[in-house]
Amino acid sequence: MSWKTILRGAKNGLSITWELARVIIPVYFGVTILQYTPVLPWISKHMVPVMQLLGLPGEASLALVLGWFLHTYAAIGAMLPLGLSIKETTIMAVMVLLAHGLPMEAAVAKQTGVPVAGLVFTRIALSFLSGYLFNLVL
Amino acid sequence: MLAVLREALVGSLSSVLQIALIVIPLMIFIEIIKDLNLLDYLTAIIAPLTRWMKLPREAGLPLVAGLVFGISYGAGIIIQAAREGALKNSDIYMINLFLVICHSVFEDTILFAAIGAIWLPVLIYRILLAVAVCAAIAHFWPGIPERLFRKRARQSKV
Repeated sequence: MSWKTILRGAKNGLSITWELARVIIPVYFGVTILQYTPVLPWISKHMVPVMQLLGLPGEASLALVLGWFLHTYAAIGAMLPLGLSIKETTIMAVMVLLAHGLPMEAAVAKQTGVPVAGLVFTRIALSFLSGYLFNLVL
Repeated sequence: MLAVLREALVGSLSSVLQIALIVIPLMIFIEIIKDLNLLDYLTAIIAPLTRWMKLPREAGLPLVAGLVFGISYGAGIIIQAAREGALKNSDIYMINLFLVICHSVFEDTILFAAIGAIWLPVLIYRILLAVAVCAAIAHFWPGIPERLFRKRARQSKV
């Protein structure tokens, strides 16, 4: 272990921060602006029945979907402007961590030669089940 | 409108800064783990879990690598282990199943801790869930991974 190790870590940290910023900032802007248009209220109104079971506001559905297709960072960027409570943030954490970046991570798993459809389905199912459980327990 | 944009600018930049303050030290920590070859120790620590999921000892390293460094790094090591012939198809499936449920535990946990989630239950839950799902399949439906491989082989022939 040497200074090189620490330097390499710092460099990785900076490059991750850059990746984060590139995703979180535009998504944050998008969601903040959408909140003031009829679009997000419309989406959330229709998602309320599902989201209620998870103890989440309707607006959070957008963050979940962004997380599925993009990744964790996008979900975080979309969650932050909503001002969620600690309990809601924790439910989102478990749901997003179980199902995020599905196309990209399925592609990675596929590289190891396994059939991936079942894996993706398992992740989404576990994500909803876990959100429901955390809402009950917390 | 200007107020909305200012709200978005301040909010997003302060969130990124908050996360950066945590992610940069974390990445240094992870490089140190790599340098000190701590992966072998961690593999030894999780050996009981590996056995419980009825996986061979060789599955430990890809599991730990995926848990600590993320799913791509884990996949790289799976591919390498598969080339060496140490892992059966069903083992590779189980490692993937474990890792899609639970990977990059340090980074993910810290990101959500930074934005205010109660992180410890989430971390413990995620690890337990991955172990439980894999152990359940290994004990009750051990044939499932092989069957999925065969099904795909048939489909690709047609």
